[in-house]
Order: sequence, then C-alpha cells, then structure tokens
Amino acid sequence: MKNKYSFIALIIFLFVGPFLFPNATITEMLIFGIVAISTNIMLGYTGMLSFGQALFFGTSAYISGLMLLSGFPLFLAIPVATLGSFIISLFIGYFCVKREGLYFICLTFAFNQMFYFIAYVWTEVTGGEDGLVGVERPAYIDTQLTFYIFTAIMFLFAVIALYKIVTSPLGLIFKLIRENASRAEAIGYNVRFYKLISFSIASTFTGLAGSLYVLIHSMVPIDQIHWLKSGDIIFMTLFGGVGSFLGPLIGVVGYIWLSDTFSIIWARWPLIMGVIFAIVVLYFRGGVSELLENLFKKYKSISRKTEHEQNIKNTKLN
Amino acid sequence: MNKILKIQNLTKNFGNISAVSNVSIEVEEGTIHSIIGPNGAGKSTFFNMISGVIPPSEGNVYYKDKDITGFESYKLPHMGIAKCFQITNVFPKLTVRENVWASIFSCSHKSKIDLFKSMNDFETIDKETKKIITDVGLSHKIDDKAEELSHGQQRMLEMAITLGAKPDLLLLDEPTQGLAPEATVEMTELIRKLSKKYTILLIEHKMHIVMEISKIITVLNFGEKIEEGSPKQIKNSKKVQDAYLGRK
Repeated sequence: MKNKYSFIALIIFLFVGPFLFPNATITEMLIFGIVAISTNIMLGYTGMLSFGQALFFGTSAYISGLMLLSGFPLFLAIPVATLGSFIISLFIGYFCVKREGLYFICLTFAFNQMFYFIAYVWTEVTGGEDGLVGVERPAYIDTQLTFYIFTAIMFLFAVIALYKIVTSPLGLIFKLIRENASRAEAIGYNVRFYKLISFSIASTFTGLAGSLYVLIHSMVPIDQIHWLKSGDIIFMTLFGGVGSFLGPLIGVVGYIWLSDTFSIIWARWPLIMGVIFAIVVLYFRGGVSELLENLFKKYKSISRKTEHEQNIKNTKLN
Repeated sequence: MNKILKIQNLTKNFGNISAVSNVSIEVEEGTIHSIIGPNGAGKSTFFNMISGVIPPSEGNVYYKDKDITGFESYKLPHMGIAKCFQITNVFPKLTVRENVWASIFSCSHKSKIDLFKSMNDFETIDKETKKIITDVGLSHKIDDKAEELSHGQQRMLEMAITLGAKPDLLLLDEPTQGLAPEATVEMTELIRKLSKKYTILLIEHKMHIVMEISKIITVLNFGEKIEEGSPKQIKNSKKVQDAYLGRK
C-alpha cells in the first residue's frame, strides 16, 4: 500500500515537475534519480558503499557522446554505453567484491581515479580537462520539453525494472547479505557472486543515466568522472534515505534544488551543504524520506487521538 | 548401517599449535552423533572444518562417499548439509517468514531466472515456510522481525532456517547455548524429533542432553580424539573423567 502511494506521488511529480523547476533542472533530477535509486540497490539493500559510481556514469557519458559525435543514432548509443558500463562493472566488481568494508571502498575509489586519469590524459578522445563538447541531440528531442519527456520515459523504465528487482527473490538475497553475510553463505548463497550482481546492477543503471546526461548540456564535463561526483552520488542517496526504494529520489531533488538555490546566493555554498549533510547523518539516519514518514505517522496518530477524544465528548453529551 | 559422513585424520594447525590433530570419525545415517570435550578441546575448529568455514591443514571429509574437503560453505546446503550456529545467527531486520523463505529458496530454486520472478510466484515455498515455522512453534510471530523475538525464539528461528535447506545431515553447534531451562527442554525435544528425520552431528556442552539423546559420542581433548562409544561407555570411561577433571 505504501509503495502504491509512493508510485502515485512519483507519477504526479513527473507531470508537475516541469512546472516547479526549469526543464534542464528537472531533467537532471530524473537522471540523477536513476543513479541514486540504483546506487541504493548496492548501498541500502546490499550494504556495500562504493566510492566509484562516477566511473560508470562518466564512462558511459563518454561512450554515448563519442558515438553520437561519430554519427551513430541515439537508440544505439544508449544501449551500447549502458552495456559498456555493465561489462566494466563485471570486470572491476570481480576484484572489488573480493574485499569488504574499507578495503572495498578503497578499491572502488582507486578504480574511479584510474579512469579519471585516463579521461584526463587521453585528450584527443575525451577532450581532457575541457571535456567532450559538441554533442548534439537528435531532432526529435531537441527542445528541453521533448528531452524531458524522453528522459521521464527512460526514468520510469529504470524505476520499474529496479522495483522488480528489489521485490524479487534477488532483492531478498541482497538484504540477507546486508543483514548477515556469513549466515547467507551458510544457507547456500554465494555471497561474492551476489555482491557482484548487486554492484553490476547499480553500475549498469548508473551507466544508463550517464548516457542520457551527455544530452543535457551537449557535453561531458570531466568532473562527471571524478571521485567527487561519486561522493555527490553517495550524499544524494543518504540524504534521501536508504531505507526506502524511492527515498534516494527525494535526496536528489533536495540536493539539486538546494545546490542550485545556494549557489546563486553565496559562492561558498558547499559549506551549507556540508552542514545539512552533517545534520542528516547525525539526527536523521534514515534521511529525508524517513523524516517525512515519521512526520506523517505522527500526524496520523494525533488526528486519530483527536478524533477519539471528540467521539468520547460526543458520547458524554448524548 | 550406512555411513553418511566419514572424517579421516582431520588436522588443523595454527602456526605451531595444533587445534585439531588426526581426528577420524564416522557418522551413521539416521543417528545423533555428538562431539563433546572440555573448553579448548577443538570442537568448534573441528566443526568449522566440516562445515567449510576453515580449510583443514590435513585430512579429508567424505559426505555420502564424496570428498568435500575444503568445499566453500555455500556449496554444502545444496548437497544436503545444513548448519546451525553456536551464536544466534539470524537476519535481524527481516521477518521470520523472510528468514525461513530465503533458506528454502536457496536450495529449491531451479534456475537463475527464478531470481527475477515475483516473490508471490512460489506457492510451494510459501507453504513449506509456514509449515517449518509452525513446526518450531513460531507461527504466531511469522510477520515479526527476527530482532523482535526473544533469545529462545531466535534460537528456534535459527533452527527453522537450518531446516529450510531440507538437509540429510544437520550440523548443530551448541543449539542450547544461552537458553533458559524451559527453552532448553523444548530444544532438546525438537532435536529428538528431528533425529527421526535427519542425521545429526551435535556439538553440545550440556552433558545431560548429550547423554540423553546421542547414539554415539566422540570425546575430544586438546585437539585429539580420546574416546568414542555409546553414552554408557563414555559415562564409565576413565579417560573421559580424567579429561573433564583435568587429570593427566
């Protein structure tokens, strides 16, 4: 039931969003929404913290951008870039899931920086520090609105696919690993294999988002593959809340809106974001989504109490 | 009688220290075979080598005549060996139903495609889940999170998870550890009931339980097998009495 309401709210958001935010902003929110929701499969559901998701986002954006620049159609560029992320995630994930905790984080971070430096020095292909520029959108999505609609469709496809995963036995296995990996192994699950699957799912969908990102500003800035972007992804996911499926989307909307707003007001805006992040981590471990859920529950219990008191009063009067 | 598990010269060395040295046992199908010994006798190391948690330095483990020495622990449930842990080891934030469901699914799903189906597509697993939960007396807690259960109930859940693998051989590592007297009686009864269906290799500290329910008892001391026999033989063994009283 809770999920039903969440999905209704999501559909409403997709329709109302373009009236609340500029088209480019809402499109960016949906793209990072795919990233955060898929990252949550790995972070919230499986309990693996990766500092290397920008690797897949950036690499996929480069593949997609290069293919479009070479004259390939968008409908080939997106699947190839996404498939590229999947293959890279299998290769990198194979090594990363051999380690746990801090060592896993360090490995993902190291691979991320490795790819960043490749992009940085391979100037003739990636554009180096200037980024990959001049990527044009196909005619059928050349306005901001049509591109938003196109992104919204891709977003819905990704959300439905990811929801199918978390409500399948595979989603349950991810939760087993998060809760108690050694017990999951003892009842017959190859924990390393399933961690790799979780890592690949998150990275593949992050890649899908990266392949769309190149179309927003017709370029791939090099910072999209930097580890700081991986940090942003973690921030957005935690800010929204890892305890629910759509929670990370709230984090994305909040993060992008806040950073857009504060960056106009004050040049040192990351300082404010840092304070907000510290408050969320210290006092709202479940993120904004949990905070909203608790407020809703409180409101419901108060209104139920008032109703009950009113009923007693009425009975006495009668 | 058929020997379901044969362990030959199992040894585990940690540097110069030998935790288990040259231990051989054979477990008869359909019986309760217990391993006992004073603290530090090497019972848990021995158990962990059989269940694939740590690889042995020497020796072999044969299950149904197949050499399973050093197999990764996740492979064992698929062969019919399930393990119940010494320390309560459940999935705390998941419901009782999910805990048991996942265990049954692990050994009964046929292909990787099943992983992506809806959880509602597995009617047989749902029925089996309910049955096992009822068998261990937790049907009234089926939708509660495991962390909300009492310690005794968590031990029962632990047993239910183990049974979910539908094993032929049950490895039980001190199943009554930390249980209140009444819960210990319940657990003993459950083990007795289970022995009609499964072969059980039991490690247990509480002597009266071991003596009451075992067919064969192996006694370890300082990593070596010092005695083996029926409960009566073990009770009367001077070697065992010496080991427990610390006499050399």
